[in-house]
Amino acid sequence: MSAPAKLGYFVRTAVGSIVRSPFVHVIAVASLTLALLGFGVARLARAQLDALTDALGGEVELTVYLAADADAAQVDSLSAALAQRTGGAVTRVSPAEALGRLVTQLGDDGRGLSALPDNPLPWSLELTLPRGAREPSLLAALAEKTRALPFVTGVDYGEEALERLTLISRALEVASLVVFSLVFLTAVIVVSATLQLAIFSRREEIEIQKLVGATDRFVRVPFMLEGALQGVVAAGLALASVGALVRWLEGAGSEVLAFARLGSGLAVDWPRLAGELLGAGVGLGLLGSFIAVRRFLRV
Amino acid sequence: MIQMFHVTKAYPGDPPVLVDINLDIDKGEFVFLTGPSGAGKSTLLKLMFLAERATRGQILLAGRNVARLRESGIPYLRRNIGVVFQDFKLLPTRTVAENVGFTLDVLGTPRDEVRERSVKMLRRVGLEHKADVSPLKLSGGEQQRVSLCRALVNDPALLLADEPTGNLDPALTVEMMDLLTDVNARGTTIVVATHDATLIERYQRRTLRLEKGTLVADERGAKAARLMSQSA
Repeated sequence: MSAPAKLGYFVRTAVGSIVRSPFVHVIAVASLTLALLGFGVARLARAQLDALTDALGGEVELTVYLAADADAAQVDSLSAALAQRTGGAVTRVSPAEALGRLVTQLGDDGRGLSALPDNPLPWSLELTLPRGAREPSLLAALAEKTRALPFVTGVDYGEEALERLTLISRALEVASLVVFSLVFLTAVIVVSATLQLAIFSRREEIEIQKLVGATDRFVRVPFMLEGALQGVVAAGLALASVGALVRWLEGAGSEVLAFARLGSGLAVDWPRLAGELLGAGVGLGLLGSFIAVRRFLRV
Repeated sequence: MIQMFHVTKAYPGDPPVLVDINLDIDKGEFVFLTGPSGAGKSTLLKLMFLAERATRGQILLAGRNVARLRESGIPYLRRNIGVVFQDFKLLPTRTVAENVGFTLDVLGTPRDEVRERSVKMLRRVGLEHKADVSPLKLSGGEQQRVSLCRALVNDPALLLADEPTGNLDPALTVEMMDLLTDVNARGTTIVVATHDATLIERYQRRTLRLEKGTLVADERGAKAARLMSQSA
């Protein structure tokens, strides 16, 4: 049999089976959709957590205080050295700017500071670090090294806040891993059980195919095609459901977003999510069918 | 075509279904397999189309040692064997013609040819006009004939039939046997398991008789007919 003729037979068989017993296929698609919806929502939640961690992490910076006798040239060279060493962004804060900020922060209490004959504040550098360098241990080591540099009199990097943020981020990572594992495991169990139920009603067909000389592959392919097709439909339905959820959160549920400090919009990479759902749907459909049909092939 | 050497078939915890069977069926032979219910006829047929494996002994099908055959090789051997099942095994979700063409589909025959050959086969048993109906709408005898069509549509080298006339009236039985005789005359080896003594007496072919899993007689022609009349 030529490859197109064989493919034609497989497609006809798969479509014929769907037309003949739509109910079992609806159940299979429903279970796949639920599994993929769980996956999609977990993916969505993870993306929001990443965005939140990024937003909080952006506030982490290292403030380097310089000696009062450091001049502009020395500040420049130190600034360049820090930027090169850490890959972060350095903002130079002049004594005048620092005093201005202090006066603003203190409000009425700071009015007296403007009357000082000399500005007592030194030059300082504010270093915003890239994401990978925000680990507390790395920051502590960086602070230690920075303190040893000439003209540096002190380093401050909000140690406690950073440790708390890192702890939250790690907890979220573990939680999302657990959620992913549970969703995946449930999906495989539910999907293969549903498909087994669907295939059980066709065990006689498989038996006859085997008895008249069909190879295991010949029997399996139409079932796997059905599984893949169910996966595609389920991925579409799951994507539409996630879309509806996002629309609701951005509209009627905007207070929820505000509470979670996510602003008015959600971070969703739609093409990527669609690709992942499609891949997961087709994969689950294929794997589920492969496993489910196996026990009926022993004829 | 079929050779068995000291073949025994047993299921765990039960007494053996077949005991020390030795037989040799030549290419082109027509053989009746008879014996009371539970004698092991269906099990012997199952060993012949590899639905079961022997517990002990050797089976050669078309010169190939079945024991040495890998699982992946079984489908290719089965493609040369047509089987008529006692319970017909027709798919209610397919039409009569689709049921007949099932064997050809598996072989990868083009769609148009499957239809053409299936209808031609149905014509031989007088069921051409039922090609597009569900097997559920057929009588037992008609289903039997559809089952035979499915077994024969591929021109197999060996045809195994388990009680193929069990549901037929005398006139249809003669028609069915004439068809089998015709197929046999074209070179297909045929093994028919049956209780029907009149069938054996009428056609006087080689007859193997099983009792309690043991092959107790292997007779030809008139002797076979006498064997049946004695045991009846």
